[in-house]
Parts: sequence; structure tokens; C-alpha cells
Amino acid sequence: MATERGFIGRTFGDRDDVALTLLDNMIWPILAVVLLGVLVLVPQTFRSVELIFWGAVPIGLLVLAESLCLLSGHFDLSVGSIAGFSAMFTGMILGTCPSCWSLTTNPWLGFAIILLVGSLIGLTNGVMIAKVGLNPFLQTLAFLIIFEGAKTAMQTQPVTGLPGLYTQVGGTPRLAIGVMLAAFAIAGVVLQYTSIGQGIYALGSSESSAREVGINTEQLIIVVYTVSGMLSAIAGLMLTGFTGVVPPLIGEGLVFQAFAGAVIGGISLFGGRGKITGALGGVILIQIVQSALNNSGAIGATQIQAINGLVLLLAIVLYSTQTKLRARILASGAT
Amino acid sequence: MSLEDTATAEQHSAGEDDARTAGTPKLRVEDLTKQFGRIVAVEDVSLEVQPAEVFALVGDNGAGKSTLMNVLSGVHNPTEGQIYKDGQPVAFDNPSDARASGIETVYQDLALMNDLDIATNIFMGQFPRKRLGPLGVIDWDETYDRAEEIMMEQLGRDVDIKTEVEFLSGGQRQLVAIGRALAFDPDVIILDEPTSALSVDATRLVQDTIDQLADRGITIVIVSHNIESVLAHADRIGVLFQGSLVGIEQPAETDLESLNDLMTTGAPQGGRIDD
Repeated sequence: MATERGFIGRTFGDRDDVALTLLDNMIWPILAVVLLGVLVLVPQTFRSVELIFWGAVPIGLLVLAESLCLLSGHFDLSVGSIAGFSAMFTGMILGTCPSCWSLTTNPWLGFAIILLVGSLIGLTNGVMIAKVGLNPFLQTLAFLIIFEGAKTAMQTQPVTGLPGLYTQVGGTPRLAIGVMLAAFAIAGVVLQYTSIGQGIYALGSSESSAREVGINTEQLIIVVYTVSGMLSAIAGLMLTGFTGVVPPLIGEGLVFQAFAGAVIGGISLFGGRGKITGALGGVILIQIVQSALNNSGAIGATQIQAINGLVLLLAIVLYSTQTKLRARILASGAT
Repeated sequence: MSLEDTATAEQHSAGEDDARTAGTPKLRVEDLTKQFGRIVAVEDVSLEVQPAEVFALVGDNGAGKSTLMNVLSGVHNPTEGQIYKDGQPVAFDNPSDARASGIETVYQDLALMNDLDIATNIFMGQFPRKRLGPLGVIDWDETYDRAEEIMMEQLGRDVDIKTEVEFLSGGQRQLVAIGRALAFDPDVIILDEPTSALSVDATRLVQDTIDQLADRGITIVIVSHNIESVLAHADRIGVLFQGSLVGIEQPAETDLESLNDLMTTGAPQGGRIDD
């Protein structure tokens, strides 16, 4: 059959196409500018690139967890508290401190327990949202509060005496970085090359449409939250490895950085749009900013949280601007 | 003469229609009733749709056309009655059963994902796959090639297959939704309000596409409010009123006013069906 009627597709000018491409990949020019700025203003930040990446591992895993939820059109406020609770719970089982439960010293059992705890909490999040129909904000906010409280109720002192192998995963920079990069690589491949991955994009773009084309949306939501919980638990394992103990404040406040990293990395707050490579760029950006601030001596450790808040605000402003610009280009050039 | 008899008699009108309507009906609905609790949404409907026919179902709001469409597409089970496809009795427990039987439905909301490109929308949930070691992964080359083939060869549209759906106009979105239906290689496509809320140009684009699909041998069932459109493009028009089929009309033998009367009163020329 011959082509009988007009072209279907973008009819924008080259300039608009470049603008749209830039908007979809804005993390990279931003990262380049920040890198340049830090190189000039706080060059000592880059004394050890390996240390920067190592420091980025826990937040990187949390950004990945949050990114999966966001891509599916949902979000998870409890990623930080899942990381903290699962690390503390497992630490209590493995640790030898006086107030620890000390049920086993087998590090492999420890790996299994921490992953199981995180996954189970994520699974519960997913079931409550997909099956019971609870609002994701309220559900994950409730779990944030519950598991922060439960963690504190378990222990208010650092948990010590953990098996060496258990802490080595997070405590060995190259191994920890490898785990984070592998997690991003696996997530990237799953999202791009599997039906589940594309289903996550479809779910985030339009849950009702995804359902109508035959995707089991309830099941997919549960899978996403379970994986998010598991990734958060791995982040907890990495945080434990940093110091070799489980500090009582482990995981607290990290959810904001997780959001900031994902949003700066170009993951849409409304789902269906964004690349995992962009989220990785967001992680690197956040970590470089933190390292630069620490190295600059300009602010103390207690002020870091305020800076994190500013970074999150900046991310939201950038996202809002991106959305408006995109809408303007669409309105001017839609066929 | 019963409505079904009327329909059958009309099928044997002269000319080109004879060729289209000869033989086993592609779809046959016999004494179909659908109740939701005590509400009878569709009552004792019988009709036949012939191969490669464009059959329109029209009716006012609440006439039962969406319910009948949903029964044909497997969303609802009939309370009573039987559906036949190519002369064989069929039962659909869900839309997948209808799809397996060669019946595809394009819903009014089109079920498109705005953030995803045309090819991804067409193949969402049914991607071509290839082996990557022990794993089966999406074959993107095949996905884009086949999507382009569907849009170019089956729908006759030159297309940038990697364009996100949010960039498309209403008519083009409708074509992508039809393209997705075609990816399942159906012999019946049910279109729910295909020209609803479309511009004049977009409506013409969709209507032309429907005509082309029928010419290629695909049976089309259109559920529509747009009487002018179905008068111009349908081979026959079934009119539903309060859940019952009150007439099957030939476009050449009726007009807008008569159809409106039939739709709103259940009887021609303003009379009540029970008058």
C-alpha cells in the first residue's frame, strides 16, 4: 500500500529537537559545570576519586531504588528507613555487643537476613499500595516513621562485633563500588531489554493504559516495591561496611538525597520517563557536591543536612523548569 | 419479520455488498443478554457481522452499545446468549481470550502511553524477542522494523516510529492504537468511538484507514455516536435503544434524521417501538 497521507512523527525544528534532547539529558551538562567549578574552587576534592565513588555507594543504591519507584509512577519515602532498619535488625542478630541478640555469627546468613528483611518490607509496601489501595505517600510515610522508630527501639548504641566478611562488602571500596555499578547495570538492562522493564515505564506513563494492554499492574507495583526494599537493604549493608558497626542513626535523612539524585538525574516525578544512566549521573553529582563541601571547610557536618535540602530544592526547581520548557516546545511544535 | 431476519434479508442486497455478505458470518450474536444485578444493559440482541464488513453500532447514552462491545471483546461475560466466530461458538472469559480468537478492541481512551514511542506502544506487552545467551530479551531492531511495517504497509502512513506518542495529534494517536491492534494480526477489530473528539481532518484520516482495513478483509465493528460518520462509511448500522437492537439499517436506505429518531425513541419517524 502506498503512503497516502502525511508524515506521523515529530515536526519540530532542529533547535527544538536539540532543546528536547538537552532537557531529557540535562544531568550531563550540569555535572560538567559542577565538575569544572569544583576543580577550580576545591581541587582537593579529587585527591581520591575512588573515595568519592565509595562514598556514593549507599546513596547510589537508594537513588536506584527511588528511581525504579518513580519510573513506575510511584515513590517510596521509606527507602532510608528500610536501609537503617534492615541493617540494625541484622546487626543485632550478628553483633556481639552486650545488648545485641547475637543469634549467629555466620556472615552469609547475615547477607540473607538483611536482603530478606528489606525485601519483605518492600513487599509489604507494594501489597498495601497495589492490593489494599493505599496512597503511596501515606503508606511509605507510615513505614518511614514505623521503621525509624523500630530501629531506635531496638538499639540506641552502635552495634559492634559484626563478622568481618559481613562488613567487608561495604568496607572494601572497589567491591562496594562494583556492587553499586552492577546494580545500576542490571537495572539498566532489565528496564531496557525486558518486558518487565518496559512494563515499568508503561505503568509510570499511564497505569490504566498499561492495564488495558494486558500488563498485570498490581503485580508489577509489588515487584517494584520489593526490589526497592531489597536495594535499600543493600544500601544498609554498605553503610554498615563504612564503619564496621551499625550506628544508631543509620539511614536517617537519606530519602531526601535519594529523591534529589533521581530527579536531578532526569527521572520524572510523575513516572514513565527517565534513564538509569541519568540517575547514576545524579548520584555522582550529589556526591561530588558533598565531598566538595566537606573538603572546602566552609561548612560543618551539622550543616550538611541543610545543604542536602537546598540540593533537593534545586532539583525540584530544575525539574519544574524542565517540565515547563518541554510543555512549551510541545505546544509550539506538536503535529 | 424479526430483526435478525431483517438483517439477513438486508445482507442480500444487490451489488458489491453481496460479495461481502455471502458465506458464514464472521461474528454472530444470538439472543445475547447482559445484566448487572437487576439492571439489564443488553437484552436479547441477535445480529450478524459479515467478513470484511464495516458494521456500526449506534445508540444514545445508556443504549447498551458499550456493554455489547465489552461482551464481544471479552471484558464482560454474557448473562445469556451465545457468540459465534466464523460459525463456531466461542466464550471469552477475558480480553486475552477474545484476542486469541482474532478479535482486537481499540478502546475510546486508546490505552496509549504518552511518554513512550510509537513502536513501544504498538508492541507493549508483546515485544518480539531474541536470545541473549540463556535469556530472552526484547529485540528492538525487530520491534522497530515490524512497527514501521505495520504503520507503512498496513496503515499506509509514513512514520517516525521513534516519536513519543505525546507528540501526536488525535487522529495519529488513533492510528497508533489501530496499529497496535494490527500487531496481533486480527480478523475483527472493534473500534470504540474512533472519531470522538477528533478534528475534521483527523476524522477523515481515521475513516479512510477504517475503509482500507475493510478492503483488506478485516471485519470492523464501530461503536459510535457520530451518525454522519457511520452513515458515510459503514456497510450496515445496528441501532440500540435501551439495551435492545431496534433496527439494522443500510446507509443507502436511511438518513440522519431517521437514525436519530430510531436512536432516541426506539422506532422510526418519532413513533414509539411499542406504538
